[in-house]
Amino acid sequence: MAKKLTDEQIADQFKKAIDTNLIGQLPRNWMLHGASKRYVDKYLYHQPNVGIVASYTPTATDVKDHFNLFRGVDQIEAFAQASIVSCATFLECRKLNVIPGDLGKLFVPAFISVGQVYFHSYLEKGQTFINIGIIKFYKWRQMVCDGRLYKIPKGFDLKEYFKDYNDTRLLAYDVPKEFILVAELFDITGRGIKKEMFEKIQ
Amino acid sequence: MENQDLDRKEILNGLIEVLKTVRTIDPARLEGITEETDFMTDMDTPSTELINIAAKVEQKFGIEFEDEDIDELGSKVKDIINLIIKAKERANS
Repeated sequence: MAKKLTDEQIADQFKKAIDTNLIGQLPRNWMLHGASKRYVDKYLYHQPNVGIVASYTPTATDVKDHFNLFRGVDQIEAFAQASIVSCATFLECRKLNVIPGDLGKLFVPAFISVGQVYFHSYLEKGQTFINIGIIKFYKWRQMVCDGRLYKIPKGFDLKEYFKDYNDTRLLAYDVPKEFILVAELFDITGRGIKKEMFEKIQ
Repeated sequence: MENQDLDRKEILNGLIEVLKTVRTIDPARLEGITEETDFMTDMDTPSTELINIAAKVEQKFGIEFEDEDIDELGSKVKDIINLIIKAKERANS
């Protein structure tokens, strides 16, 4: 069972990350919603103003009552968490010099818009996939990302593969031929809404 | 007062130039636009487009909006004009 970090340990991790990137960081420290709705396992590549690569493996709970498949809508959610939530939280924490927990006291991450999404394949329980998220716009706590989901062959060493990745390859979706394109996403938009404003929304 | 009215008219004209470049706005709807025109109800502009308009307005007028400005931005033309004036005043203070 994963050991819960103390506030001091989280703050220490944050200080190290904020000057660099999210690679090696624990997603649970950067996304404040509960574990059952968290669809990011590992950050593999991250360039704060450019984009991110993150992986996730659907669990039995994720595919329950849905043909043993990870739903399309959850793929979009997984993409938004990996890209907008993670990247915007990182940039906003850096800007305000706060830890994610404190940011969560001020803002609620919300979907604003979902552009075009094209599904090409499917994901079963236990099939690891990556999200490649590219930041198209970020201003006033609103982020727009394009990206893709790829299914990864069993046993593929993602950490090793992405350790020498770079922005040029990220922007070109440069991945091995054996990765299977699952979905293409365009203009996925989210915003950090002030808590008091969010609570006013009926 | 006269000067302020003139400024607002100039800003409105500049804003119309910006709006002509926005893909989701029908140019025909820009005729007869007033400060009371509402982007969402009168022009069917998607709410997400307001952010893009704000970004273009920043460039056009050489100003900068704060996060809070956008949080409080209404959907009428006069709201954007007021914001432009506020941002200009802030820059000059």
